[in-house]
Amino acid sequence: MSVAVAGVGESGPALDDPRSIPEIVLEAVEEALQEARLGFDSVDAVVTASVDLLDGLTASNIAVTEVVGAVLKPETRIAADGLVAAIHGSCLVRAGAYETVLVVAHGKASLGPYWELTSWALDPIFLQPLGLDFLACAGLQARALAEDDAAAEQRWARIAAERRRAAAAHGVAPACTAEDVLASPAVASPLRRESCAPLADGATAIVLRAAGPAEPGVHLGGVGFDLSPHALGERELTEWDGLRRAWARALAVHGTRPTLDVAEPSCVFAYEEDLFRHALELDPGTEVSPGGGLFAGFVPVAAGLSRLAAVVRALRGPGGLRAGVAHGTWGPAGQGQAVAILEAA
Amino acid sequence: MRRVAVVGTGQTRHAKAREDVSQPELVREAARAALEDAGIGPAEIDAVVLSNMELFEGRALPELWAGEGAFAAGKPCLKVATGGTSGTSACIAGFHLAASGLFDVVLVAGFEKHSEGHTQTGMALTDPFWDRAVASGAVGNFALSISQLQAERGITEEQAALVAVKARRNAARNPHAHLQMAELTVDEVLDSRMLAHPVRMLDMCPQSDGACAIVVASDEPARRLCPRPAWVRAAVTRHEQPYLGDVDRRLLTMRTLRDAARAAYDAAGIREPLRELDVAEIYEPVTYAELAWYEALGLCEEGEAGRLIEDGVTAMDGELPVNPSGGVLSTNPVGASGVIRVAEAALQIHGRGGERQVEGASTALATGYGVYAWSDVVVLQAEAA
Amino acid sequence: MRADPGTATPALSVVHEMRLTWRYASGTAMERFLAGLAERRIEALRCGGCGRRYLPPRPFCGRCRLRLSDWVPVRDEGTLDAWTVVHLPIVDARTGEPRPVPYGMGLIRLDGADTTLNHYLAEADPDRLAIGLRVRAVWREELRGALDDILHFEVVP
Repeated sequence: MSVAVAGVGESGPALDDPRSIPEIVLEAVEEALQEARLGFDSVDAVVTASVDLLDGLTASNIAVTEVVGAVLKPETRIAADGLVAAIHGSCLVRAGAYETVLVVAHGKASLGPYWELTSWALDPIFLQPLGLDFLACAGLQARALAEDDAAAEQRWARIAAERRRAAAAHGVAPACTAEDVLASPAVASPLRRESCAPLADGATAIVLRAAGPAEPGVHLGGVGFDLSPHALGERELTEWDGLRRAWARALAVHGTRPTLDVAEPSCVFAYEEDLFRHALELDPGTEVSPGGGLFAGFVPVAAGLSRLAAVVRALRGPGGLRAGVAHGTWGPAGQGQAVAILEAA
Repeated sequence: MRRVAVVGTGQTRHAKAREDVSQPELVREAARAALEDAGIGPAEIDAVVLSNMELFEGRALPELWAGEGAFAAGKPCLKVATGGTSGTSACIAGFHLAASGLFDVVLVAGFEKHSEGHTQTGMALTDPFWDRAVASGAVGNFALSISQLQAERGITEEQAALVAVKARRNAARNPHAHLQMAELTVDEVLDSRMLAHPVRMLDMCPQSDGACAIVVASDEPARRLCPRPAWVRAAVTRHEQPYLGDVDRRLLTMRTLRDAARAAYDAAGIREPLRELDVAEIYEPVTYAELAWYEALGLCEEGEAGRLIEDGVTAMDGELPVNPSGGVLSTNPVGASGVIRVAEAALQIHGRGGERQVEGASTALATGYGVYAWSDVVVLQAEAA
Repeated sequence: MRADPGTATPALSVVHEMRLTWRYASGTAMERFLAGLAERRIEALRCGGCGRRYLPPRPFCGRCRLRLSDWVPVRDEGTLDAWTVVHLPIVDARTGEPRPVPYGMGLIRLDGADTTLNHYLAEADPDRLAIGLRVRAVWREELRGALDDILHFEVVP
């Protein structure tokens, strides 16, 4: 048995979306169901992804219960990156528990002080008192990488500029040059304002269905996720070991190593592309973030699921692409990692 | 769904404040106990599911820090948070992961350390335009619905007090329980402080520091690891509309619990739950809720719940012992409370209940309750399907 | 780990004070409802499927899974559907201070709405409260477009 992605829907990314969370989510859900040619009643179970502190709500899935169609239905809420919710949703189908599962992730960076909020996710005894947040942790990681690599900052600036250029037409920030990136103010040295993906609001929804292995459409193949030790000092900061483990699990589930035509990593910072390519031992022929990736707009929590949606669209497109990989990450310096292989059948 | 079973359980000593341990250490205490119970080491865990309501501790993404307590470092780990049902929903997520074919052995660990945060504030972040303007708090919201239960079903304060007495006396035989009151009387309950009419202090659950973990395994490893696995025969979730005023006569109708129970009984082949269930661990944050759940779970006809408690039908020596552990009324670390329900139900089937063991229990019910009317129902059995 | 859990004193503790600000969007439906309150007007959204008239108004009927757009007027008077008298001081999220006790709370089914509204009651004597009582809104003098433009509900004599 296989798991097909029957529909994807998206709202945003948008800067400072004036709408409420349920309104944003409803747009994405309706689009995904429409694409799948399914009504709400065909959905057997719902998996949502959200984080209470980011939304400023106790059990923030309460706010979306109605618009995801979960009234009198099974719904569960994963508080992590949305790609983990998709992986969990695929497990519901693989387990034979449900045939059709709607997966929804939403984030609204404009609601609160995103980076400050992330400081509350850090060990309150040894890390939080240092004034760290996810941005500062990324700065430490980038610094560790740049230490032995004099060309790093130039390369990252070129990557950021390339992504920004690709995203300019549909993203929340204008195109810029590598020089612009290097000239922008440091936010957590060596990270600069323009080498970070712009924060945004949005939601992504996907419909997963049990399918025969040869059924036409895009299939969710091997999946894997991982949580590294929390303390930065317990990790090799210049690697994404956790992604390496998650990828090994995904390949084991998949059975073979597919030739990847496209990769959609969740890189909020340009330097993370180095870590991503390295962890997956990505073939140079794989196209990375053709639409600019998260540089079109980084929607916290929804990011990984939006990458999955991007791969699905690429595989359905006219290019005849066969396989791709979607990636999600959460936590400080890539502590949580998730990866999924998608294939066109 | 493919076969999965609970093969080990473990929990901490629950208390008002566990100042002797950090959050990861609290989780570790339960996780280690569950692994010892299952007779496995951390290396044999393929995935970890955590449950915790992070705002109660004033945290975000608590698995990042506390996950290592559940041996999650270097493993797949996800966190479930759905309010009061977090723990049961985390267990159900664990069942699904183990049934997916991707993981053989899954550790589910729920925890809450209320003493380290401000629970009332953590619960207060409701709809900012609606509930937040007229907050009555968890107790007040229950009390509102209880006025309907009293008016329509004639439930008395004495009947509710009997639930409180049963819970705390049962808890006295559970070494892990937070409130252990072997001598509690109905009069003491009725004399306790009024919180929100007619709900008194001893009608309500406490806030506890504590953690609980279960080991879930798919078919083959379950048979290998456990002499008497607690097989998952049903695991059903039903959610409701978001506002308190959306659900008519909430405690009386409780259509999520009715619907989930009916689906679970169908899946497990249960026709007469009172007769066929051997033990139940239900999520009762307030005495009156237990009586309402009796009806919704089909243990009695409408209006008969008061008689059930008066006649001792749900006492330890009754036809269907309900909450031998002492229930949520005796122990309530929110993120763990649902895991405790499932663990206690499984432990009864394992025959490892000690002084709270129901002799020969082979079919056990566990429920979760959260938000205003969200329900989880799990049926465990000694017999695989 | 110490031998006597639950009673030992902490070896180390760190105190963090949380001061966070969120800026919530009301959504189109709630925005219109709140604007109405500022003019002492209550409106509900009616579902074209089940006919339920929703308070609070919202974009979507979770029962019928349909979008809502049909506004209907609601009176500021209704029937008490449930009640309690609260004695446990709970923090008022608007002021950050505990609300003085005891105070009455009710679920009120306003004439013209099908869901109930949870709100404060002027009456706090359990002997004078009962399901089915008629109650009416007591409005604040200076209206601000928030749910607490209604101070509380009083029993209609």
